[in-house]
Amino acid sequence: MAHFDYVEKAVKVSRREFLGVIGIAGAVMWTGAYAVTDLVQDRNKYIKMRTAGLYKDDAKAKIRQSHNNLAVADVYKKFAQNPLSHLAEELFHTKYVNRTKLV
Amino acid sequence: MKHPLASRLFHWGLILGFLPAAITGFIIWYKPESEDFANLAMRIHIIGAAILTVSAVLYSIFKLDRVVGFLRRIFSWDQRDLRWAMLQGGYPQKILFGINILVPPMGKMNSGQKIFGICLFFGGLILMLTGWVLYAFIPVAPKELVYWFDQAHLIMGIFLGLFMFVHIALAIYNWGEFLCMFVNGGTQPLEECKHHNPVWVAEEIEPVKGSGKAC
Repeated sequence: MAHFDYVEKAVKVSRREFLGVIGIAGAVMWTGAYAVTDLVQDRNKYIKMRTAGLYKDDAKAKIRQSHNNLAVADVYKKFAQNPLSHLAEELFHTKYVNRTKLV
Repeated sequence: MKHPLASRLFHWGLILGFLPAAITGFIIWYKPESEDFANLAMRIHIIGAAILTVSAVLYSIFKLDRVVGFLRRIFSWDQRDLRWAMLQGGYPQKILFGINILVPPMGKMNSGQKIFGICLFFGGLILMLTGWVLYAFIPVAPKELVYWFDQAHLIMGIFLGLFMFVHIALAIYNWGEFLCMFVNGGTQPLEECKHHNPVWVAEEIEPVKGSGKAC
């Protein structure tokens, strides 16, 4: 324990200063929380709209299976050889990510 | 007693948080070839940012009086401060030409330290705010906001990062203050304080019971 003879006089925080600091901190946190919830709400809205759009497209679609899709069949015929070929796997296959709990 | 335990602990928080965050920040900015190295740098950057943020929040909550005292000091400017700043504390004259010139007496912080304090206060807030938004909210935040936060984080990071090296160099130059912060438990001999901080000694400290020669 260091020995010392003088100490700094205590800083007296006035009510005005206390309220000022707390007010600014509160305002910053409130604005931040509002901005974050606003962003998340927006994101949820867009995810729901996109989901609804995809379901609507699916309901309207005449061809609902990828192996019956003429465009996909054409791609395999002209370019990617056959389904499950190395090239097709490299280009088309993605990993499944569960996003059902996002909203 | 110049720097109480809480202030020294907060300063350690800044060292362990800001220093690694600044160094790894420069590494990330430089974009190293190795992806593993970049990932490691980013991980250290985030850990440093967490230490920095937690230190700042805890210090603000538990030592609000010190924070208010610090804010009062850095924003209190008078003719003496302006004159001291114009002479740059007489340090360039002393270091470059070996000439000691008379400078106005200073309080606990001289004008240069006040400028550093103001930059650190606002810059630190900007770095922490933009950093955590970039860390957590990129997928949901508007692209424009992310772009400007990224730019602000980069520019403020470079500025404060370079400022930090100046701070370290000057702290080593002012060896008594360095010992006070790291070795002597926050205390500094009264004579040294009278030389560097005469206004502080005259107006802001008071004796405690007992005897000795440190303030």
